[in-house]
Amino acid sequence: MTTQANTVPTEEPIITTTRVFDAPRELVFRAWTDPEQLAQWWGPHGFTNPVCETDPRPGGLWRIDMQGLDGTIYPNKGQYLEVVKPERIVYTDVVDEGAEAWGDTPPPSALHTVTFANEGGKTRITTVTRLGSVAARDAMVEMGAIAGWTQSLDRLESLLAAA
Amino acid sequence: MTAVDELSTTLSALADPTRRAILHRLAHGEATVNELAEPFDISLPAVSRHLKVLEQAGLISRSRNAQWRPCRLEASPLKEVADWVAYYRRFWGESFDRLDVHLRAMQGLEGTGQPDDNSS
Repeated sequence: MTTQANTVPTEEPIITTTRVFDAPRELVFRAWTDPEQLAQWWGPHGFTNPVCETDPRPGGLWRIDMQGLDGTIYPNKGQYLEVVKPERIVYTDVVDEGAEAWGDTPPPSALHTVTFANEGGKTRITTVTRLGSVAARDAMVEMGAIAGWTQSLDRLESLLAAA
Repeated sequence: MTAVDELSTTLSALADPTRRAILHRLAHGEATVNELAEPFDISLPAVSRHLKVLEQAGLISRSRNAQWRPCRLEASPLKEVADWVAYYRRFWGESFDRLDVHLRAMQGLEGTGQPDDNSS
């Protein structure tokens, strides 16, 4: 597995993630902003993105509908606040609260800052995800731990689908 | 909101390896308490306590008719958890794994050092 480091400070409602990709910065930046490329990799394993629209300039909107293995649609959308090619993207991430997939508990909205740093031809991506409160951040971290179970949940789901 | 929501109840019921193992077993079909207790090194009353937690969370139901009251899995709360977790899985490496695969493909490179590349 490629190393990925997550950092969770106590006082600020943020989660920081960093990882190095073996590709030049321009290419990595394009993969984040070109809708055709973004649709190729966004979301958990096995998910597809039937709707993927970007408008990478300050004030521009984005929308991605992720689709799970069972066909459930998970709509996400937001707005680009800052786009500095090929260095940095800042965007909001708002879930569609009316979406069936979320039931009564839609996930919180977030503000993401993604930086692309050149490291000898490779690219270090650092993401800072800012939530509305430390409580919302802690809930997200908890979900991260739970995400470790999701492989077994996936297996369980496919068993259920087959039943 | 002060009331404990359904999702929290489901999550706390799932936050135990024995209860998750019981759910896995039930995914294969109904089972009695004795059958469920068999693989575990714990007493029948302990298994019954786990079943009670799962039942209160709506994750299993127990037949009222049959004397041996077989347990069966109830899928809908699990589906809610799976849906919710799907959102967060974007942030915890899976998207980045897929981005890594995508960037290799864009550069015409074979996936090296990533034996578990399985995105499609």
